[in-house]
Amino acid sequence: MSLIEVNYWEIIKKQYFFKLKAYSGVFTSMMVVQIIAFLLSLGGTGGSGGSGSSGFSYTTGYYNGSMIIAFTMMWALITGILITTKAYRNDDFTFVANRGTSNLSNMLFLLTASIIGGTLSMLSGYLLKVFVYLIFEVDMLFDVTHTISTLWLGIIASILYILLFSAIGYLVGVLAQISKSLIIILAAVVIGYPIYASTGTGQRDEPTLFIAITQFYQGESMLSLFALKVILTVTILFFTSLIITNRLEVKQ
Amino acid sequence: MKVIECNQVSKVYGNHHAVDQLSFTIEENKITGLIGRNGAGKTTLLKIIAGYLRKTSGEMNVFSEEPFNNLKVSANMIFVDDQMNFPTALNLGELLKAADSFYENWDMELAKRLFDYFSLNPKQRHDSLSKGMKSTFNMIVGLASRCSLTIFDEPTTGMDVSVRKDFYRALLKDYIAYPRTIILSSHLLNEIEDILEDILLIKDGEKYLHMSVSDVKEYAVGISGEGTIVNQWTKENEILYKKSLGTGSSYVVVKNDFTESMLERAKLAGLKISPVAAEDLCIYLTSKTNGGIDDVFDRS
Repeated sequence: MSLIEVNYWEIIKKQYFFKLKAYSGVFTSMMVVQIIAFLLSLGGTGGSGGSGSSGFSYTTGYYNGSMIIAFTMMWALITGILITTKAYRNDDFTFVANRGTSNLSNMLFLLTASIIGGTLSMLSGYLLKVFVYLIFEVDMLFDVTHTISTLWLGIIASILYILLFSAIGYLVGVLAQISKSLIIILAAVVIGYPIYASTGTGQRDEPTLFIAITQFYQGESMLSLFALKVILTVTILFFTSLIITNRLEVKQ
Repeated sequence: MKVIECNQVSKVYGNHHAVDQLSFTIEENKITGLIGRNGAGKTTLLKIIAGYLRKTSGEMNVFSEEPFNNLKVSANMIFVDDQMNFPTALNLGELLKAADSFYENWDMELAKRLFDYFSLNPKQRHDSLSKGMKSTFNMIVGLASRCSLTIFDEPTTGMDVSVRKDFYRALLKDYIAYPRTIILSSHLLNEIEDILEDILLIKDGEKYLHMSVSDVKEYAVGISGEGTIVNQWTKENEILYKKSLGTGSSYVVVKNDFTESMLERAKLAGLKISPVAAEDLCIYLTSKTNGGIDDVFDRS
């Protein structure tokens, strides 16, 4: 029987389409997460009220999709971890794969999931406003963002945030493959550092490192620069995952 | 053409040598049985060949390439065992389609026919199948993929006798129609020896034998008769197994270094000469003591 010559990118493409079908549960969980976030957002994400001396009173509420986006970010983090777990990882090697194609198709999958997750979460912010208008007694509805360009801006920014979190999750999952204790250490740092920082006095009374990291992304007002920062970070995260997994055994 | 070349390959976990300095070659289009006791290192060896595990030392070539993490080896090889992972989101019918997209030689018609024969339901999910049904499905994937190197690691786990027989027959028929290199590891040597050409016997991670099935059958002879006469005849030979049959007679399995005339004379001396089945021989060769389990209970 003659040997089959393989095309690296052809295999990645096959695996990518295979994963879209095989990992469909990921999208189901995304919908569940977004519905929960949507319902929670119906309570409003902030508001104030007051009354005047002449006997009128008012309440204001802010309704936007930020909670849905935040939930989707958490979903992306968990999805990133999930697809590096043994059950998912070994699925690849039942069929044709090596570490490289497995990783690259995973990354393409995460990118796709982020695009879908980001677009849906941004759009559901609009749906939320419509919902609020229809089911609550609203006297006045102001919509701050109203143009197509701001919609695009929102969608792209959401996708980037979600992609960032999925890449973080992916790296965490890869680290867990080296050693489970690494994850405990990582969790200890992430949870412990803010506690440690806030118990101190003077300049150590807040987790300045975390604030600085958040500011690095959040403080960026220009989309292009923000995108550049995120894409660079994601590339570094994915690249690190690739390097690490290439050193590991394929299937135990 | 040599499909697998294994030269002094070792795999070490901590200080345990799962595979120890193993060397052998497997030629193209042969069916080889990999035989060994539990923990002999069969699965570890197969996983190194499949490119799943990294060898600790030595040289391993599959299709003249280092198999570890190798895409070409992966495309031309399928590894079937009872822990084959399939995504839980897809049903059996969809899994066959997925396999079809990955393996270029995939024979969908054969897969479908086997599928119907073993009355599997395409709407069912792999994780809801019984142990034997899982093995049956895995076997169908292994056969229909028609990979140049097909590895079955304990493929018959959980299968009932009739399915096992069907499987061996299906394997042989498909092999004759589309010859390829097949490695079959199993505990049930007497069931598979008819379809095997070669036997590779390993013990404690080391190669013990690698020869054709017919040679294995002639490797040893069983001699039974009066204990003293048996001892006298076998003192020059390597004793592989010894069992006392009571009333002073005993049964001894020795390496067959006898000539025809010697055997004739032994018969005249009142000894019974019998061939040793391949499976029994493998048990004797890989057991730790000459007396087998009897030694444990023999406290005298």
